[in-house]
Amino acid sequence: MRTIVCVKQVPASNEVRLDEKTNTIIRDGGEAVINPFDSHALEAALALKEQLGGTVAVLSMGIPAAAEMLRQCLARGADEALLLTDRAFAGADTLATSYALFQGVEQLGDFDLLLCGKMAVDGDTAQIGPELATRLGIPHVSDVFSLECSGDSVTVQRELGGCVQTLRLPLPAVLTVTRELNVPRLPSIAGVLRSETVEIPCRSAAQIGADEAQCGLKGSPTQVVATFLPQRTREVVELTDTAALLPIIKGGAGLGTGD
Amino acid sequence: MDKQLILPYCDLYAACLRDESRTVGHADSVSFPRSEDEVRQILHALHEAGTPVTVQGARTGLAAAAVPRGGHVMTTGGMDRVTGLRQENGRFYLTVQPGVVLLNLRKMIAKREFDTAGWSEASLTALEAFRTAPAHFFPTDPTETTAAIGGMTACNASGARSFRYGPVRPHITALRCVLADGQTVALRRGQHFAQGLHFSLPTAEGGTVEGDLPSYTMPRTKNASGYYVAPDMDLLDLFIGSDGTLGVLTELELALSPLPRISWGATVFLPDEEAACRYAEAVRSQVKCAAAIEYFDPGALDILRQRKAQGDVFATLPDLTVAGDGAAVFTELHCDHRKEAMAALATLGTLAEQCGGCADRSWVARTETENETLRHFRHAVPESVNSLIDQRKQAYPTITKKGSDMSVPDGRLLEVTDMYRRTLAEEGFQYASWGHIGNNHIHVNILPRDMDEHARAKELFRRWAAVVTQMGGAVSAEHGVGKLKAPFLTIMYGEAHIRQMRQLKRLFDPKMQLGRGNLFAVEDEA
Repeated sequence: MRTIVCVKQVPASNEVRLDEKTNTIIRDGGEAVINPFDSHALEAALALKEQLGGTVAVLSMGIPAAAEMLRQCLARGADEALLLTDRAFAGADTLATSYALFQGVEQLGDFDLLLCGKMAVDGDTAQIGPELATRLGIPHVSDVFSLECSGDSVTVQRELGGCVQTLRLPLPAVLTVTRELNVPRLPSIAGVLRSETVEIPCRSAAQIGADEAQCGLKGSPTQVVATFLPQRTREVVELTDTAALLPIIKGGAGLGTGD
Repeated sequence: MDKQLILPYCDLYAACLRDESRTVGHADSVSFPRSEDEVRQILHALHEAGTPVTVQGARTGLAAAAVPRGGHVMTTGGMDRVTGLRQENGRFYLTVQPGVVLLNLRKMIAKREFDTAGWSEASLTALEAFRTAPAHFFPTDPTETTAAIGGMTACNASGARSFRYGPVRPHITALRCVLADGQTVALRRGQHFAQGLHFSLPTAEGGTVEGDLPSYTMPRTKNASGYYVAPDMDLLDLFIGSDGTLGVLTELELALSPLPRISWGATVFLPDEEAACRYAEAVRSQVKCAAAIEYFDPGALDILRQRKAQGDVFATLPDLTVAGDGAAVFTELHCDHRKEAMAALATLGTLAEQCGGCADRSWVARTETENETLRHFRHAVPESVNSLIDQRKQAYPTITKKGSDMSVPDGRLLEVTDMYRRTLAEEGFQYASWGHIGNNHIHVNILPRDMDEHARAKELFRRWAAVVTQMGGAVSAEHGVGKLKAPFLTIMYGEAHIRQMRQLKRLFDPKMQLGRGNLFAVEDEA
């Protein structure tokens, strides 16, 4: 059983701040972590390895510092890592990202299962998994919360607005997973020590044979026109006596109507 | 008095009658002072009649020190401002009122944001420097983060990190305290010392408190049992850990410590308690950057397994299903260099293997998410035990868990845990142990199944108090003596020394008004 897990580095803070001048996320200084959903994908891969044997490879596209996140994946039990890092990948939308990751998957060779988190918590698109499956020409299921694997097929469950759908897919296949799937393990002392000396392979666009016109900003049909801070339209009014409350309950009374 | 500071007791104030020890008292009046001046007015008004006064912070104590037995209850929770910051020789010192809650204090220090209304120019200048200085923290870390600083000082609170940083005592550099008659003492570390066991302390009002300190020798171990006394001692230390019996704390100055750049955790699993003790002793002597060494016995792990299986918030606990995970020991590493942390981790792995554990079957936390997972695990133990007891309360409304808080000197850990296990087995008790194994300070929690077991548990702890005393240990290492452990203090120091403590208290509090029933009974035994 060979599983590839796609992981993304995201800002650790849940208090993401926007630069008021440029309206872009302030990223400097903040700790970066593995996207929480991807952590569950890695756990699923490690559990399958324990159950069926085989190997787990982790793959990411990102800045050079993302190598440390991949090292943490090795500490938890992944066998192999690959980082795609190049200025040419910068500014990628999901189409360009899935193109680069597709090229990366080719580098990693044959596999049985490709796992992703259901989405990244910084972009919230949930598109990478399905796009990768389309590029690879293999079946996929998104939002999986339960999976069982026999070695040549995988049976999964996902929730579809009030009902649960159970599906069986032939391998190889792509799955995106939810937090409900498992509880991610912590790395072990032995795992951390082993991972510390490993060199994480980093590859540029040219090294993986990627067409630069399909990478990064150049390969991204999605253009961000503008980002801005949402304007507060609600007001808070402090009331000191109950008599003032009645007109408000009856309607209006000079308060903002809210958004 | 300008306004009504002393209010007659009514059911609205029922919360003031209890604390986390889950014992309930009674009171005739209550007050909620907002300033030292109000504290002074209240005490002054109560002094003539000699009304007993029980002082409270956030009521998170486990020894019932905040539970009143009649008289007046003074809650200082409303005095919750940070009033200034001082910089001296590169260190920062924060002045706080006693009602500041630990959780809020941590947030303010981490974000370096304070409500600076009323701060002096010097404090504002120090704050400018603090904002550009490397990060700082306040190291004392009791599990209950809603504790108030005043209460933590009154019981000389500790926490896991006391292994490295000591209890709250060394982090307090100055305090102000109002005595029962309304006089004030202001103490700064290094300014007022006893001469031998004799002392003379001036009050701000021009009076003097003079007399002799008790003559006992304190145990050389983690200790929160009775007054801190030693020849030539700094008199500031007398008030820290005095359990609300000498005066009402109104202001404290806290020394902040530089935040270590690296804070990692590692939990290893050992076959049994004896192996866990050997591992902890080895970590203590070989891992220099250990900040905390914490224990979970087989009973605690079993309770966690059951809780995890029940789901809810405990479902996200890491898996504990592996057979042979008899006991667990968590070590927190604090240092400034990754290389040092990696070397320490390697040592932990080697020691675990030597003690029958496995470096592959262990948990390491290096990121905030991973650290949070281990924190959740540690806090889930007492929470699970409490919910188990809450179920038993349906059959026996007055049943409580019986938690011990005793410590012994280095070299006695194996002996004391062996004694605990043997006597617990003889009594046939259900129990779970956890806590500060690095300080030879394990909380054994007996989980009584009926009132007979409840009574026998109490009796067993009295026997332990005598054995632990003989080993040179302390009957309360961090919770304070309060009312619940007062009988143990007599076992530890003997009646003659208790009488000396009572005499000491009378010097500061002639009518024996403050914290009655804490540490010792107010009246001499007939």
